[in-house]
Amino acid sequence: MKHIIIILLFFKCTSLWGQPCEYTFSGRVMDERGEPLAGATVSFGKGQRGEIADENGFFQFNKLCSGKYQIEVRFVGFKKISSSVKISANKVWNVTLQSDSTALNEVVISEKHIDLAATSTYSSISGKALEETLGKSLGESLREIPGVNTIQTGPAIFKPVIHGVHSQRVLILNNGIRQEGQNWGAEHAPEVDQFIASNIIVIKDAAAIKYGADALGGVVLVNPAKLPTEAGLGGQIHVIGATNNGSGVLSGYLEGGLKKLPGFGWRAQGTIKKAGDSRAANYVLSNTGFEEQNFSIATAYHTEKKGIDIFYSHFNTSIGILRGTAVATAEDLANALEREPPQYTTAFTYEIKQPRQSVQHDLLKVNAHLAEGKNEFRLQYGFQNNRRREFDFRLGAALSDIPALGFQLQTHTLDADWELSHSAKFQSCWGVNILYQSNSKIDGTQTIPFIPNFEHYTAGVFAVEKLTLNDWVVELGLRYDFKKYDVIGFNFQNRLYRSNIDFQNFSGTFSAKRKIRNSASLTTSLSNAWRPPNMAELYSLGTHQSAAAIEYGLLLDEKTSEVKEYAASGAKVEKAFKWVVGYKIEKQKFTTELTGYINYIFDFIYLRPRGVTEGLRGIFPYFRYTQTDASFVGLDLFSVYQLNRQLVLTGKASLLRATDETQNDYLIFIPSNRADVGLRYHSKPIKKFSWNAETKIRWVGMQNRAPQVITPREIIEAQKQGIDIIAQRPGNFDFAAAPNNYFLLSLGLGATWKLEKSKWDIRLSCDNLTNEAYREYTNRLRYFADDVGRNITLGIHFSF
Amino acid sequence: MKPLRLICLMLVAGSLLFLSSCKKDDPQPENIPEAITTATFTFTPTTGAPVIVTAIDSDGDGPKDRVLSGPINLVKNMPYTLTITLINELAKPTDPEFNVTEEVEEEGDEHMFFFAWTNNAFFNPTGNGNVDNRSDAVNYGDKDANNLPLGLQTTWTTIDISSSGTFTVKLKHQPGLKSATTTSSDGESDLDVTFNLNVN
Repeated sequence: MKHIIIILLFFKCTSLWGQPCEYTFSGRVMDERGEPLAGATVSFGKGQRGEIADENGFFQFNKLCSGKYQIEVRFVGFKKISSSVKISANKVWNVTLQSDSTALNEVVISEKHIDLAATSTYSSISGKALEETLGKSLGESLREIPGVNTIQTGPAIFKPVIHGVHSQRVLILNNGIRQEGQNWGAEHAPEVDQFIASNIIVIKDAAAIKYGADALGGVVLVNPAKLPTEAGLGGQIHVIGATNNGSGVLSGYLEGGLKKLPGFGWRAQGTIKKAGDSRAANYVLSNTGFEEQNFSIATAYHTEKKGIDIFYSHFNTSIGILRGTAVATAEDLANALEREPPQYTTAFTYEIKQPRQSVQHDLLKVNAHLAEGKNEFRLQYGFQNNRRREFDFRLGAALSDIPALGFQLQTHTLDADWELSHSAKFQSCWGVNILYQSNSKIDGTQTIPFIPNFEHYTAGVFAVEKLTLNDWVVELGLRYDFKKYDVIGFNFQNRLYRSNIDFQNFSGTFSAKRKIRNSASLTTSLSNAWRPPNMAELYSLGTHQSAAAIEYGLLLDEKTSEVKEYAASGAKVEKAFKWVVGYKIEKQKFTTELTGYINYIFDFIYLRPRGVTEGLRGIFPYFRYTQTDASFVGLDLFSVYQLNRQLVLTGKASLLRATDETQNDYLIFIPSNRADVGLRYHSKPIKKFSWNAETKIRWVGMQNRAPQVITPREIIEAQKQGIDIIAQRPGNFDFAAAPNNYFLLSLGLGATWKLEKSKWDIRLSCDNLTNEAYREYTNRLRYFADDVGRNITLGIHFSF
Repeated sequence: MKPLRLICLMLVAGSLLFLSSCKKDDPQPENIPEAITTATFTFTPTTGAPVIVTAIDSDGDGPKDRVLSGPINLVKNMPYTLTITLINELAKPTDPEFNVTEEVEEEGDEHMFFFAWTNNAFFNPTGNGNVDNRSDAVNYGDKDANNLPLGLQTTWTTIDISSSGTFTVKLKHQPGLKSATTTSSDGESDLDVTFNLNVN
């Protein structure tokens, strides 16, 4: 783990001893994205002189004599760089630090190489950019990355969407472990405390063949900072308050090592969040408050060649869902759509009532590694316990206090891999992943469980080979997986059924990267991935939170609703072929990254509206999980332009076209095109103080590629005349038209004081400055209410 | 401890955990107390036999459409008392969940029935009911704890000429909302059925 990257510098120079000491040595420290790493330490000449990179990442040493100097550049969460520099004239040196964490290293075929997963297309948030998203949820922070969006259920539930696909098509690796929760619903957000992360990386191609075959959309890596290996005590405290929902966040950690045991380190971390109702531009979004209490402890012991890490985290949240979304029948939905503000809108409160969710997630991870010459072995065990309960308004007060849906999901994962460096230019990695998962209903919900109890076994083996040839890096990966579901559930008559299914398949990746001169590179990758239908897609029955529709799984017979055998049902696994091309130019003042992709998914599983069913409560639209061929074609752009030492211009854009190829139709809830432009000013440091100001404009286009609209009112009126309008107008539909495009303006002001051994950061920001009343197409709340209005956030961050 | 030994130990511990995941007992079915599977509407005249119609949805939220009996055949110029009973046959008759009428009665301050009819079928109340307009006349025979109408019992007098049309009953769940002005579009639907109605 302690590999030091040596950057060799070639420059022509002759020692000119005896010259006056008038030289300057200056440069800039940046992360892999070209974002400045403010606060990085640059030590010069055997620790004699030290500088801290300013807000722009710049550093400068003056009055240097000519000679050879040792330089070391360090920053928390990044790999240290050591080098020696010969000074014989004024010199400029720009440094790119690589993120460093165990999880990240596992993606890299060989950490000895400077490039992260050399040939993959990835984006990251770290350092200052990540700090500025603190207090937001993981999903919300990820929206900073081009190509990444969210499916939202109100102001607190964000589910990441990569290149148009989400849920179980996006793999989240929390500290190196596959995050396993009830991930089937759009209202199920990842159970991760964002404060744990020191960097978040999104891999947009299938480079993560090491973790599973099912990352059809991409992979999100949440990486904590490396634990200290030396004695001393350090830590951070964050206090954040926001006006819109009256939220308060307190988070922090303490970390240290032992003098007597170098290589040993520990960290204890915790977060508390409490938020009341959010406010739209013109009214309160009643019952959208949330609470979160999380903590984690980590300890590690590392020597030159071996090490062990133990990590435990507990995540606990309670989230309110907009009261007005609790609709049952088509008529309730029709009323809700026609009403603004939503029903049950009351004064602001911190109280969270039904409908609400309560989710606990525990993660235990033990990781050991051993390096022996050309070999490196890793073994990792993870245990996760996920408990989700959803409370709804129910008939009778006694029932309202017990969850309408409750599941406990326990997951054991065992990952082992072996890396072999045949030579500096050829590396291999082979490994095994095993997963055992068991889902059981929490007894006493007094509802027919929406998904069955099940046991899920997966075993996978993979091999990845990487070859470096001059300007080319080529990577080839192959994987085989076997999966087995053992299912026991209850059908619509509340009778027990059993179901067993096996799946097996191969997947592969081929990717190549070519350096074009020194400043540009071209990456391309072709990969296939597959994913068996999940439990909700196979067996779901009935309604769940704020769905206002009945959902039937792939295995439910269309006429009798009995559960069919998988083989007889015609259901298939989802298979994706994704081609990604990335082009990146990195120059002193200008960085641009362009990523184009085509993801063609065969037998894409989605909820298709199929008709109307009448119950005693009224009329319900019903949806069936259906398979179709779908394509996702898009372009992501990220660009940074350093106008001068103080001003930086950034631009981001994501374009996406998704098509239901079989029906030649549009798909629902596909993120529309969007772009961000930001201008940032960093002051020159005045002694230990510096400040910055930033403004951003976000434009989000209207989704013009949205399916036809059939309003609930139309459904009811048709039904009265004995017409099933949904069956009559086949194809996908939406209950309401896509909302208009919108602009959001935000401002930020930040200040930093660097003291001897500590640092204070204060940041004041305002989102949706103009208090725009808008609705976002991918937010399921859009049927009922406007999105969140103006929000002013004050954050104080102290590190020592 | 040597890391290699540690790794071996972890492998063994890990595989033990995997093997220990032995077969579990079958899960127990849940009681399903909320569904209304049968709604019975009994029109009892001052003289003569009661007229009974039912709405049945035997599988609750299952895929089967409901079955409505009817039409409601009432006699001209006759006072009736309408009594509504709701039961949940997914629960056992001995379970308290079986009798949904009682639940609704107990939570009268959160529930209200609304009625609508066509062709001026009634002499008292007149009009077309309070589904479209809360202030329209309906003769409620019961009240909740807050002295607001509930509707498990209502009184009706048919007109003195023949008429045929429809009769709609809606039960709305209005927790924390129900007031003297809440309408049939407030709250959530617990029941929404329409029968044919003949007055002869």
